[in-house]
Amino acid sequence: MNLFNRFLNRFEEIFISCLMAGATLLIFTAVVHRYLCGLPIPYVQDFMLSLNFSWSQELCIIMFVWMAKFGAAYGVRTGIHVGVDVLVKQFDQKNRDRFILFALMAGALFTGCIATLGAHFVWQNGAHHAWLELTHQPFGILPEGPTTPDLEWPTWMVYSAIPLGSGLMCYRFLQNAWKFYLTGSLPSYNHAHVEGLNESPSGTSSH
Amino acid sequence: MNALIIFSLLLALMLTGMPISISLGLTVLTFIVTMTHVPMESVALKLFTGIEKWEIMAVPFFILAGNFLTHGGVARRMINFAISLVGHFHGGLALAAILACAMFALVCGSSVATVVAIGSIVLPAMVANGYPMRFAAGVIITAGSLGILMLPSIPKVIYAISTGTSIGALFVAGLLPGMLLTSMLCGVTWFLARRNNYPRLPRASWRERLTAFRESVWGLMLVVIIVGGIYSGLFTATEAAAMAAVYSFFVSVFVYRDMSLRDVPKVLRESANMSAMLLYIITNAVLFSFVLANENLPNHLAEWLIGQNLGPVGFLLMVNILLLVAGNFMEPSSIILIMAPVFFPAAMSLGINPVHFGILIDVNMEVGLCHPPVGLNLYVASGISGLGVTELTKAVLPWLLTLIVFLVIVTYWPWLSLVLPRAMGMM
Repeated sequence: MNLFNRFLNRFEEIFISCLMAGATLLIFTAVVHRYLCGLPIPYVQDFMLSLNFSWSQELCIIMFVWMAKFGAAYGVRTGIHVGVDVLVKQFDQKNRDRFILFALMAGALFTGCIATLGAHFVWQNGAHHAWLELTHQPFGILPEGPTTPDLEWPTWMVYSAIPLGSGLMCYRFLQNAWKFYLTGSLPSYNHAHVEGLNESPSGTSSH
Repeated sequence: MNALIIFSLLLALMLTGMPISISLGLTVLTFIVTMTHVPMESVALKLFTGIEKWEIMAVPFFILAGNFLTHGGVARRMINFAISLVGHFHGGLALAAILACAMFALVCGSSVATVVAIGSIVLPAMVANGYPMRFAAGVIITAGSLGILMLPSIPKVIYAISTGTSIGALFVAGLLPGMLLTSMLCGVTWFLARRNNYPRLPRASWRERLTAFRESVWGLMLVVIIVGGIYSGLFTATEAAAMAAVYSFFVSVFVYRDMSLRDVPKVLRESANMSAMLLYIITNAVLFSFVLANENLPNHLAEWLIGQNLGPVGFLLMVNILLLVAGNFMEPSSIILIMAPVFFPAAMSLGINPVHFGILIDVNMEVGLCHPPVGLNLYVASGISGLGVTELTKAVLPWLLTLIVFLVIVTYWPWLSLVLPRAMGMM
């Protein structure tokens, strides 16, 4: 279980970082490409025009949506999702703990619901068909499901971000709730934390 | 009736302290299950299609660019340039801090990033020069809020998405108000510094100023890329944000070399974390406004508001007060996503310009960032300075009052926000 969690943590971090970098480079390339297409340089222009980047916008959106879904799960782990704690802070320790646990379970409930709904949607919109095709079973009147406009990828693959990301997020909420139940501590995100600044003062503690 | 149920459910869920995104989502889920016949699957689908908009993608790009700028030494060089310009006045270092915040705000879309970038360098320097920490922190907290007013700004992108206003026009519209606010903050600081006789720095020579300018010009060039690119039609706001991210990466790692390639994954991860959090709120808020629209609430509210015969003056006053109150509970993106679609139709039928309305909301968000209980600038400054939030709340008062005076000016003087985008033909 420990090994699994370590792998999951690492995968999550690398996955969202790569999506972020990838999408940025993609759009940068697409803009530079479009700019070069307009320059009347012999050969270069012909070569540029032969490349097609019309799908870049769609791919960038898909990458960011995947990043958003998995990053949101990572965010639960780092405690970056904040709520309104003005009222809860007024309570005594015992009641406050109850509220925090309730909030964490509500998070798990919502993300769990979304994961289930999303999975159902994905299954209905092509995943079922793809599964039958993969296992060489007759799929009868089951539709193949729609595809995206530019890349023409099956939408069920693209939309899988919802069940996978929300599922992971649900797992993170449960993890936090369990840890909170055992140790009474929650991850909290520190916005003031600066690394890589030479003149950074020594006393940058969390609030 | 339904409106009342929706909003009280949302309020109740929020007050339990659960993340705002989750309370928005749960409200929608409960409402759809119990009171409508909207198919449930559409909720899950909406979570994907809700952010499937090209304009929204500017948010992660601007966050990434801001993180590179914060870690890459751009801020330090802007501060040096600012010191060489105004260091010799009363409270010179404080004035330089405000000016540096304004410069950084020109290229960065987040006020928290501005406070972190400028504050973590200037605060220790000011204390070393004999300023009280309270004074220094008060200056940085409010000047940092320029981050969301000058040119690029994440709250503006979010406002543009939820109301369909031009992002380019909103960016440019913040420039003049931002300059006015900068001079107002400088005025108050100068006055306080002279009264308390805070230290002045030796006057820099023109040669020193030129050197400092040349050092910082790589960072300032980003303004040209963003505004020039959007204005000339070379790229869209989202593409400008992506170009800004690549450019600031290049400057930090290869020109200034304040950051090594090894630090890049960490910056990427942090940016992804922050953007995912914002995008998650956005998706759930889109879901929420979908339900509101389904109930035709914004239109009913607009009709009701117009029926009250408030007129534009009264209406704007009411919007300001409601936004300031909301600023006590939520951070800017959530407020804009929840309230902008509700007020926008009414504002339009009262003849208020959408760009002006956006800048007004933006300034309200600035105020909210500078006071407790949720003002993020305050917490960040508290982290950097080591002062408690209660003390900072008192310390920030003179500048917070300035900010409120500024809010009144922006609210009732639309020309200030509108003259530039009009002159540039962006609206």
